[in-house]
Amino acid sequence: MNTLGRIATFMNRLLRHGGFILAFLAACVAAQDATNPGTPAAQCQALLKESQGATSTYFQTTNDTERQTIVARVDKATVQLLELVEKNPKEPFALEALTQVITQEYWLNNHTSHPGWGKQSPQARAIALLLRDHLDSDKLGETCKRVNFGFRPECETFLRTVLAKNPHREVQGQACLRLAQLLAGRVEKLDSIKEQPELVRRYEDLFGKDYIAALQRQDHSKVMEEAESLYERAHEKYGDVKLPYDETVGEVAQGDLFEIQHLNVGKMAMDIDGVDQDGRPFKLSDYRGKVVLLYFWSEY
Amino acid sequence: MKQLAEKPFVLLGVHGLGYAPKQLKAVMEKEKLNWRSISSRAVAARWSARGTPTYYVIDPKGVIRFKWVGYPGVKTIDAALEQSIQAAEANPKSASKVGR
Repeated sequence: MNTLGRIATFMNRLLRHGGFILAFLAACVAAQDATNPGTPAAQCQALLKESQGATSTYFQTTNDTERQTIVARVDKATVQLLELVEKNPKEPFALEALTQVITQEYWLNNHTSHPGWGKQSPQARAIALLLRDHLDSDKLGETCKRVNFGFRPECETFLRTVLAKNPHREVQGQACLRLAQLLAGRVEKLDSIKEQPELVRRYEDLFGKDYIAALQRQDHSKVMEEAESLYERAHEKYGDVKLPYDETVGEVAQGDLFEIQHLNVGKMAMDIDGVDQDGRPFKLSDYRGKVVLLYFWSEY
Repeated sequence: MKQLAEKPFVLLGVHGLGYAPKQLKAVMEKEKLNWRSISSRAVAARWSARGTPTYYVIDPKGVIRFKWVGYPGVKTIDAALEQSIQAAEANPKSASKVGR
């Protein structure tokens, strides 16, 4: 055979090279403190190094025991980082460290050898501190971006609160965009797991059975309507707010809105016109009548 | 994995770097990739704005039925294709022999 087997191999290769490179922040630490061991700043840096070191070796593991060891190391470093900030909430690294805790929980949640959390997950605790100590900060843009991938109720609360109460227009704009992304992304995830009982169980372990049930009962078309109106608001009111990588809130909002309206499950596929590798004209609509697996790829 | 050659199914690719056909063909031959593909930055930017790889399963009527950003695992893709192809075969009116 077989085309699919070949794609699978090809994609596995891509995944090993391309995916999951976690961009850990290097600039956690106010420089003058970092070299002085024992200061909170130096401890922060050591904990970041520990989790970065652990995650970067994950793909070299060959068995479950090794993987569990790495997951346990990241888990421990994440909780210690959180506790360090809880003890030193006024340190200049606090906001970035809390943002990093949020990212590290995603990594842990994605690894099934992690058992999941009780009610107080590191993300929930980090968000509580962010709302308590940093709600007025002009540096919450990146945090909003990280939070938008979140599934927990605290993530939604965080973005709604920042949007309503942060005094900086740049931050409000990013919170507006990221809240739209969170709502749309959550509906998409709920839809994609619903026929996969294993994944539903994993989500229940991670986020709570009652909460998942409540999300499933939500009227998803209403949630998508809110996401659309938040995208529109982000575009109209905060369109010029700059994001990293030379993008603006307006551009991203418009792109996402287009995706919701034309490229989501249930929508009619737009046509694609082009020329194939043999120089022959190519039209997606020529394949009506067949099931099409349309694969967007690149060599790395 | 099952043999799909006789089924109302086709795999199509969109490569994202905007290569000329010749250059695309060279890459595909080197990687031993045998599906039909175009290469277009504009199409890729529109359809896979959130990253490569992105996958869509489109039913015989042209409706998007599944979509994954990032590799979802071969089991997930297989299950989705099987479901979609069974639905197409159960309703042969919509599954004519179009394309190659």
